[in-house]
Amino acid sequence: MIEQNELPLSATTAAEKIVAAKKEGEAIALVLITHGPSTVLGQRIAIKKLKHGGLVKIGRFQENDLNNQAMELAKEALESPSPQGDRFRDLTVKSGQKYKLFVEAHHPPSELIIVGAGHIAQPLSSITAMLGFNVTVIDDREEFVTKKRFPKADRLMKVDFMRPFKDITIDQNSCIVLVTRGHKYDFECLRFLLRSQVEPSYIGMIGSRRRIRAAFIQLVNDQLDPERIARIRAPLGLDIGSETPTEIAISVAAELVLLSRKGDGMPLSQKENIFNRFFKKG
Amino acid sequence: MKETTIQNIHQAILEKTNQGRTVAVATIVATKGSVPRKIGAKMLVDPGYDIVGTIGGGCGEGEVIAAAHEVIASGTPQVVHVDLTEDILSLSPAVCGGTMEVFVEAVFRS
Repeated sequence: MIEQNELPLSATTAAEKIVAAKKEGEAIALVLITHGPSTVLGQRIAIKKLKHGGLVKIGRFQENDLNNQAMELAKEALESPSPQGDRFRDLTVKSGQKYKLFVEAHHPPSELIIVGAGHIAQPLSSITAMLGFNVTVIDDREEFVTKKRFPKADRLMKVDFMRPFKDITIDQNSCIVLVTRGHKYDFECLRFLLRSQVEPSYIGMIGSRRRIRAAFIQLVNDQLDPERIARIRAPLGLDIGSETPTEIAISVAAELVLLSRKGDGMPLSQKENIFNRFFKKG
Repeated sequence: MKETTIQNIHQAILEKTNQGRTVAVATIVATKGSVPRKIGAKMLVDPGYDIVGTIGGGCGEGEVIAAAHEVIASGTPQVVHVDLTEDILSLSPAVCGGTMEVFVEAVFRS
């Protein structure tokens, strides 16, 4: 562990560190004193997780106990991809003074790669950019991957669909949506992904039941891992009755949110069923 | 990934304080019961300019905005206890059923 700075960070320095970490694709946690003597209230330090896994503490609280506790709290928050649990810690230091530390973790944005720059890709790139994804759109037609068509995308690339991810790093947090103009290209990209050692967190492919079934038969014949084939989201998206490209994009975006937030896709009104539960008791 | 992302708020903190203004940043640090946003949600209040992000709309946001103005004037951070449990049937916009603690602090370029 390396330490930088011997003092707590100002709020603006902390904001700079967070913005910089996002650019670098690194995770960072801020630990803030939310209860304690007024002289230290609002003081904060940051703990950054380097790409190779090491932790760097940026800034320092005066009280040593606080630094140790902050480090533990940050470590937990940085290690769980969607921190739900303990976001604060109550502690009493040697002098008897009580403190409460609050941690906020900033994970780097998920990469979303939209393969095929057609009708669905346009609204999907905008919606997912609003959701905070780092969006890449690729196609083999140069005139389709333009800033004019995809104003919200972070990256646009012309690729060869036989080697579509040559210049793209795919890791276990990547999400890939296969919506090219031809099922053949979707299939080639899908097979390419299944042959790779790394399994991305989401692979969705568009298509009719028949075409998807044919694709799966081919993948099985190619001796690809059946468990990985079973995890492919095809057809992709939630069933909200989508017909138009925008409706389909919403259904795909909804599936991405559902997976990251661990929802179940049910209408809340049905799930809660409040009227029937509370007003129709016999 | 998710919402007027927290990263956007940090970006906004930098832009606004770089222009020499003092802003207030509110963060939900604890919740109990039914509240509209979860722990970690943030809102930036830039008096006379705008508000970036939300800690839950009508549900308690007014109280926090008032605290934001106080904090900017005094420079001392506050923890605001927002109680959204009163009279659940009143249909007032500020009733969601839970309580939350919001840490509010002034931020400026030093």
